[in-house]
Amino acid sequence: MPSRFKDWWRRGNALIWFSGATLALSLLMIGGLVGYIAVKGLGFFWPSPLVQMQTGEGSILGEVTATEAAQGEDAAKVQFRVGNRDLFGQDYRWVPKAELKGESFPADAVLVERLEYGAFIGRIKSVEKEGQVLAQDAEALAAIRGLVPGAEQLRKKIKGIEKGEVGGLNAQIEDLRLEQRGLEAKAPGSPKLEALRQRAQALQERYDQAQVSLGALHAQAAALTVTLAAVDGQTKTIPLASIVRIVPANALGTFGKLSVYASRLWEFLWDDPRESNTEGGIFPAIFGTVMMVLLMSALVVPLGVMASLYMKEYAKQGWIIRILRIAVNNLAGVPSIVFGVFGLGFFVYTLGGSIDRLLFSDKLPAPTFGTGGILWASLTLALLTVPVVIVATEEALSSVPRSQREASLALGATRWQTIWNVVLPGALPGILTGLILAMARGAGEVAPLMLTGVVKLAPSMPLDGTFPFLHPERKFMHLGFHIYDVGFQSPNSEAAKPMVFMTALLLLLVVVILNLFALRLRSRLRARMGGGAF
Amino acid sequence: MTTGVSMTQSDASPSVPEPFRAPEPALEAPKGAPPAMPRQANIPLTDAAALEAKPILHIQELNLFYGEKQALHDINMEVGEHTVMALIGPSGCGKSTLLRCINRMNDLVANVRIDGRVLVGQDDVYAPGVDVIALRKRMGMVFQKSNPFPKSIYENVAYGLRIQGIKDRAVVDEAVERSLIASGLWDEVKDRLQDSGLGLSGGQQQRLCIARAMAVQPEVLLMDEPCSALDPLATSRIEELIFDLKRNYTIVIVTHNMQQAARVSDFTAFFWMGKLVEVGLTEKLFTNPRVRMTEDYISGRFG
Amino acid sequence: MARHFENELKDLKFSLLAMAGQVEEMIALTQASFNERSNAKAERVGQLDKNVDELELKLDQACIDLLALRAPFASDLRLIASTLKIVPVLERIGDHACNIARRAVLLNPYPSVLTGDLLQRIGDETHSMVRRAVDAFVNGDAEMAQAVIDDDDKVDALYGEINRELLRLMLADPLAIERSSHLIIVVKNWERIADQASNIAEEVLFIIGGVNVKHPYLHQPSES
Repeated sequence: MPSRFKDWWRRGNALIWFSGATLALSLLMIGGLVGYIAVKGLGFFWPSPLVQMQTGEGSILGEVTATEAAQGEDAAKVQFRVGNRDLFGQDYRWVPKAELKGESFPADAVLVERLEYGAFIGRIKSVEKEGQVLAQDAEALAAIRGLVPGAEQLRKKIKGIEKGEVGGLNAQIEDLRLEQRGLEAKAPGSPKLEALRQRAQALQERYDQAQVSLGALHAQAAALTVTLAAVDGQTKTIPLASIVRIVPANALGTFGKLSVYASRLWEFLWDDPRESNTEGGIFPAIFGTVMMVLLMSALVVPLGVMASLYMKEYAKQGWIIRILRIAVNNLAGVPSIVFGVFGLGFFVYTLGGSIDRLLFSDKLPAPTFGTGGILWASLTLALLTVPVVIVATEEALSSVPRSQREASLALGATRWQTIWNVVLPGALPGILTGLILAMARGAGEVAPLMLTGVVKLAPSMPLDGTFPFLHPERKFMHLGFHIYDVGFQSPNSEAAKPMVFMTALLLLLVVVILNLFALRLRSRLRARMGGGAF
Repeated sequence: MTTGVSMTQSDASPSVPEPFRAPEPALEAPKGAPPAMPRQANIPLTDAAALEAKPILHIQELNLFYGEKQALHDINMEVGEHTVMALIGPSGCGKSTLLRCINRMNDLVANVRIDGRVLVGQDDVYAPGVDVIALRKRMGMVFQKSNPFPKSIYENVAYGLRIQGIKDRAVVDEAVERSLIASGLWDEVKDRLQDSGLGLSGGQQQRLCIARAMAVQPEVLLMDEPCSALDPLATSRIEELIFDLKRNYTIVIVTHNMQQAARVSDFTAFFWMGKLVEVGLTEKLFTNPRVRMTEDYISGRFG
Repeated sequence: MARHFENELKDLKFSLLAMAGQVEEMIALTQASFNERSNAKAERVGQLDKNVDELELKLDQACIDLLALRAPFASDLRLIASTLKIVPVLERIGDHACNIARRAVLLNPYPSVLTGDLLQRIGDETHSMVRRAVDAFVNGDAEMAQAVIDDDDKVDALYGEINRELLRLMLADPLAIERSSHLIIVVKNWERIADQASNIAEEVLFIIGGVNVKHPYLHQPSES
């Protein structure tokens, strides 16, 4: 037996098995991570059944969210999501298992998602219009269903006016005011001031009008109300317009649950957040992340490729260039927070401050570029990832065979023509590799962003309908920061837990999709060029 | 074969009783004009044209140094217009270096110093202020390992024209077709000009590189061991091509294969350790070289 | 590879020498068959001819092989090309010697017609030419080869002299006609052998100097 083992060992089989095992382990870890996140995150949207039980303190109605086995002195307990934060004070409650008696799934129990105070778990008592009861109890749900589309429309209209017209007027008034101030400072008493004042007045009148119509709409919206009853008998009346979704969790069939799931998922991806980011959607964060990565790529690729070109093709290969190369490589090891501090100090304060003083002096002391924004954040991350791009580009440039350069030169091309027509196209797959690596690194960094422009809740997005459409000075939201904020800074951490996982999954997905685009582009280029080392 | 007892020779039986005299070797030409030589009896290996060719390339006292090391010693030679000159010699003897001096490709190597003159026509290639880019357009170079660009076949051949700024589609099309026909590749690729140049076989790639070099209509073609990476069939196609190209171009070819030099060239120059040992008509050099070293090298005694 | 080729060239030379040796032996035996009136020796000449023919085939093949497989240049090429031309010449010398030996058999029973040593001298001179041509090949001796070419005149002179003598004899004595006509053929063959030896010497000069010395009247002064 031992000799058989010795034989097997000498042939090196042990090493084959070992390397296979480490690969399997790595795959397991990655799969485990993704799977854990996916399971915890994707289950977030599935409508759980609402169970009603008896405890020592009365009835309890809600979703079972967690159980804990007995540990030492603590008895086994069960966590319920009971909602109704405005009535109960907290929407999650731990109940000792021993106390629980009876279990029923009432068919009329509903979970109502609201704009404020989170979810309401209970029963629908009635629907009223201006105080008059329209329907009660059993018919209430059907009546609400009928009224909801109208309420939706109203809500959208209000939002449109608020964001669009009123917002636009506000911006114009603000601009005008700044102009006035500037003019007053420079040339008081000029006839232009009078014209400006008149325009300001006209705008103000329009603004007031818009406010009036907005008020009417709000009143209209507030007319319809719904009265809800909690399990302990307390009631609460809320306007119909503030209801986002009604889920009769126990009365849904599989198809119904699936449609609720789909609707919640859709909302998560495309809507704005509410309840300090613990509810609603994270679309601004997704948008901010993608836009920042794209902006960073647009900055890092030219910067890295140009630097690489100079170091490789034009500079004399002496000791200066060697030191430079070492310095660039070491840059890759600098902690990202250091880059954040640099970004803050140089880009935000120095550069941004100078730009403000030069171009936006009338808006001061309110900073435009002198504070964090997506431009500075992308620039900081571009600096962070530039060593990766430089190294990859240098490798790619080296991989272009010398013979092709010579062939080009022998045909009478200048150095630059050779680089532009032969070397760069040949190095393109390698440069894309560098881009992929840079994107992967950059999309995951959060610390430097916190110092240079990411916020918990951004009032507007860096890309929108108002001229000049791209606003590089605006702050933005980011998925990585969202995870941190929701998971650790949120007042309602229990509600936030599932969202953290979902956001993490989404961040992974965004990076993977971005990488897939770049990979596809690279393989198309490789196929067109028929081989190459990179 | 002789068998039996028979007369072997037709003996000159004397019919007259005159003192028999052995015929004397005639020292003058036989009387009367000799009958015209049949046409097939004329077998020159080098055209008379090659012998008359006026020199187009003059290399005068060329010395080349890599730092301290001298790689070329006092080279003096001339290449005739529309002839093929082969440069032979063992590895490291400087033949490729000399070739690259002609179109100043050695400028790309660090630490190179060149003394002497290389004249193309009337112009000294190494005169101060010479436009190297313009010079290189008058020479086409083909390298040992074929090196087509990772572009389409069409773009490969058109490259030389494009970098000169020629944009007219018709002009470029015509040049591409002409070059591909001249290099013998047209029939094989005329339907797939947009395919990648790297998808061709080795021999085809080398012909593509030749077409690329010819597209700008240079005066001189410089070939650095163009067949060393090819199989015999591809090699012989390119050698035939060189034969055809001779009509319009002057060709200098470096080769380490003596049979190829013998097959393809009108003149051969033998180099040893950076020195030009012997240069002359190929058929003379390969049947009766003047210098002992040449004789030893081409007989394979060393090198 | 070069060493291998060197050995093959050496083998070629040895084979040629062996063939030349056989031919020289045949010439010596032919002379002896006359001098000693030995039919046995005359027959021996015919037997040696078979060796010569075998060597001719072998050498022909060797030369073709070397040309095909070794692609020789310069002096090696000249050696092989010339060997290819010398071989049939040697073979013909052997044939001529056979012819002479056959006449010896016919003439030996009868008293000699010719007086004096003319026959001996033409034989000796021719034999010397052959031997010296071969030596010139072995030693690369251009002077010796040139001497052989020049000596062909001597043999031609002897040939003329012997023919005149034989004519006189035939006119004087009709009974001597048959013997004389045999002798005419004999000296004709000697003269041919001498010509062939001169041809060999010309090839030797080409091997050594790369210059083709045949037909001097065609050589233009400017040609090298």
